[in-house]
Amino acid sequence: MDFVAKRRIFLTISIVLATLSVVILGTSGLNLGIDFTSGSTVTYQFTDKDPGAETITDALVASGHPEAIVQAIGDNQYFIRTDDLGVSGLDDVNVEVLKVDQGARVLDTSTVGASVAEDTVSNAITAVVIAAIFVMLYIMYAFRSVPNSYKYAFAAVVALAHDVLIVLGAFAVMGIAINAEVNAIFIVGILTVIGYSVNDTIVIFDRIRENVTLAPGREFRTTVNISINESVTRSLGTSITTTTVILAMLLFGGASLRDFLIVLLAGVMIGTYSSIFVAAQVLVLWERRSFLPWRKTAATNS
Amino acid sequence: MSRFRGLVLVAILVFTSVVVLAISEVSVLGLTRGGDSPLGLTLGLDLEGGTHLVYSVVPEDGREPTREDMEGVRNIIDKRINEFGVSEASVQLLGGGVDSVADKVLVQIPGQTGAAITLNFGADTVSPETMEEFFHNDLGRSDAEVTQNENGSLVVQLDEIKGEVLDAVGNVVSPNESDAWREAIIAQYPVALQVGYILPQIAPPVIGDDTAVDAVPTEDVVTLPTLEEVKGAFASIGRSDADVAQVDGAEGLFSILMYGLDISSTDEDGNLIQAEDKRILDALRELGDIQFTSSQGTLTQWTLGGGVQEAKSLIQNTAQLDFRYRECGDVLAPSDDIPWPPDGLSLDEWAIERCSNPAYFSETATEINAADLDDAFPSVSQGAIPRPIVTLVFNEDGGDAFFKATDRVARQNDRLAIYLDGVELVAPSAQAGITGGRAIIEGGDFTSESVRTIAIQLRSGALPVELELVQERNVDAVLGKDSLQKSLIAGGIGLILLLIFMIAYYKIPGLVAAIALVAYTIMLLGIFKMIPVTLTLSGAAAVILSLGFAVDANVLIAERTKEELRSGRSLLAAITAGFDRAWPSIRDGNMSTIIVAIVLFWFGDRFSTSVMQGFALTLAIGVLLSMFTAFFASRLLLRLLASTSLGNKPNLFVPVRDKSDSATGGNS
Repeated sequence: MDFVAKRRIFLTISIVLATLSVVILGTSGLNLGIDFTSGSTVTYQFTDKDPGAETITDALVASGHPEAIVQAIGDNQYFIRTDDLGVSGLDDVNVEVLKVDQGARVLDTSTVGASVAEDTVSNAITAVVIAAIFVMLYIMYAFRSVPNSYKYAFAAVVALAHDVLIVLGAFAVMGIAINAEVNAIFIVGILTVIGYSVNDTIVIFDRIRENVTLAPGREFRTTVNISINESVTRSLGTSITTTTVILAMLLFGGASLRDFLIVLLAGVMIGTYSSIFVAAQVLVLWERRSFLPWRKTAATNS
Repeated sequence: MSRFRGLVLVAILVFTSVVVLAISEVSVLGLTRGGDSPLGLTLGLDLEGGTHLVYSVVPEDGREPTREDMEGVRNIIDKRINEFGVSEASVQLLGGGVDSVADKVLVQIPGQTGAAITLNFGADTVSPETMEEFFHNDLGRSDAEVTQNENGSLVVQLDEIKGEVLDAVGNVVSPNESDAWREAIIAQYPVALQVGYILPQIAPPVIGDDTAVDAVPTEDVVTLPTLEEVKGAFASIGRSDADVAQVDGAEGLFSILMYGLDISSTDEDGNLIQAEDKRILDALRELGDIQFTSSQGTLTQWTLGGGVQEAKSLIQNTAQLDFRYRECGDVLAPSDDIPWPPDGLSLDEWAIERCSNPAYFSETATEINAADLDDAFPSVSQGAIPRPIVTLVFNEDGGDAFFKATDRVARQNDRLAIYLDGVELVAPSAQAGITGGRAIIEGGDFTSESVRTIAIQLRSGALPVELELVQERNVDAVLGKDSLQKSLIAGGIGLILLLIFMIAYYKIPGLVAAIALVAYTIMLLGIFKMIPVTLTLSGAAAVILSLGFAVDANVLIAERTKEELRSGRSLLAAITAGFDRAWPSIRDGNMSTIIVAIVLFWFGDRFSTSVMQGFALTLAIGVLLSMFTAFFASRLLLRLLASTSLGNKPNLFVPVRDKSDSATGGNS
């Protein structure tokens, strides 16, 4: 199968997805949780009878929290998000909620102050950028035996940015559709995606490195295509097995990890896709100095 | 077999890990690992339940906190929490990054399943066994387990205590069920009082003054109270049930045994009720001069455990103890032309107002420094019925300053005002300068619980800076347990599916991978237990990722071996070449992941959660171990199997139907 010849289709898909992600992130943005915006969350476990979200919303309004967002998360559990409840705010909420259901039980509360929330965003971005720079440096070092190893480093980071962008975009859609919230564990999900994406890209690049060394005279795009073909079963094997584990956890695990596992699932699939269809293709484009994939050059028709 | 030495190493490590995991508590060279959790692993708050508090440090004068401030804060909070009796709580400094000083403190208090009550009878009058039986038989709580802690308090562990239930308008329908237990315990265990009367002091006869003899009061005035009178005193306050007896042969000495004496009841707002004990003492005083009183068996402590609020107040209060001279308004008019007492007050009113109304007194600092405190402990006041107080013990400097201050207060008929965090506790007067460096503080709202907290705070020292709570997370222990159980089951199912897939698709290499993955998982858990690594949900994510890498390493080896077999090599040569070819990508992929993990760990302490660092540490360990397992277990096990009779069937080493080989080489 000639993956390189079809690169226009795949790169177009990637560009479209990435553009859509940028648009949705720019317009509606992510549904940021209290780790980023400050505020409080409370998870209640109600007894056998489901009181319904409206009753709980009314109770919260009565407790002086008209801004509260109430969300059913299954098993008669409700997730409530309010402004910062402060020291005694939870007691006020409790009084009203206990009127609804005397057996209601607080499972989880969380309060984040504004000063902490501000730091989280900038720290997260800095951490990711620094990690990306170090990974680039390592790839340049590891691929020093092939010409222009910085290109591999750059291509890997392009694929990485592509994956993170699309996963963020997908999560923004989930935010609209099912009110999925970006919290600290979501950042961990993104970090996991970064780890997977880089690792997967390196496996393909390793094959290219090997084949370039074995047959230095061969046309670069051919070498890339051979390498992709040689590693595609491994890519699928790994991503199928990893996906199996994630799916099992998604189906049988608790609600608290659900959003995180969805991020992981999307990340593994996009990460596998981008290693073949983005990272490797960026290398080919760079080699041919044609960054516009749809512009036909004489050399393309081989 | 020397070629397979690596396998022996792995086997030993797996065996060690199994042993480590099987023994719930491991102690090696004084280090103890493990406990009640599944496999004895250290669990994070999100899995175990508990409280996570982040405080921002705010020095009063607006400067940046110094390293000394932060260390001071950490040590003090550490002391307070440990003395509070919270086991395995952790205090960490956060923020600031590599070069700058941390400015936040993270306190993690593990949750407890169930509830606990700590109670104390002042002396060892009730054994833990007796109390446990009482809970089992009389209170019908067979789940109660009673132990005694080092302070002599009894700790009752229960699965659950039903809290207060409110009706629709917020009235109490049924109180906290422990309230009834408390009453039952007070009713069950008697309080033994002793009271000794003394004849009124007789002035010593002055030499040469014969009239002194005549000053001895007449017989009928000086008799000691009789048994009947003491009984009558109890009857007068409605406690004729008290068992009053005269101590044999000792006139004026009585012992009283009574049930249901409650010294620390509080009203709904948490204020101490002027309880029976006060009235008993007043009635006894009317009978004559009391020389001494003592009591045994009063319930001096009753604390419901797991109180996050209490822990929070314990941590956050700076506990700045401040002694100030209170110069009261003049007793006599400063000059003749001013009407005195001022503002039309009567003399009686003035006697109180001059020292209690801020309009009439002024305050200045004393030389008593709270840093000169040697010790502070909760105790009970002298007197017929003990009241909760905090006893302070000063060092020499503090003792001198305290004497000077009390001496001045006594001479000038002033007061010594004592403040805790800016709130006035008491402002006693003094008869004379107090030597010995001991003082007691009491406050109107002191309870047997709050004196303990205050004593801990004073003993641990005042915080050098103020703390502001900026983040709080509480996870119910039941939720944590539930998450853990579900995640474990889900992870187990995922792992089994993965093993089935690997064996079905990759056959012998798949079987090798399956064995390697099981060994990997066992060693990983063993390492987590021994380091110990705190397992959190984010750590679990890192485990999934590193498991993915471990699978990937095996897949890479299997695929490469297949290719080498196709190119016509012998099985053993193919395995060797396959591994050699796969290794660079395993190494580089994993190394870049370790780099990501290191950066995250380095950055992790800027975040106010331990989520990042937990993830990074778990990931780094997982990835290193997966490389180790691939290198020793997978490679050597494949060679070992290839050298057996299985080696005669190379097909078993090639994955089932594989389309990609026809495409190998592409369209060159």
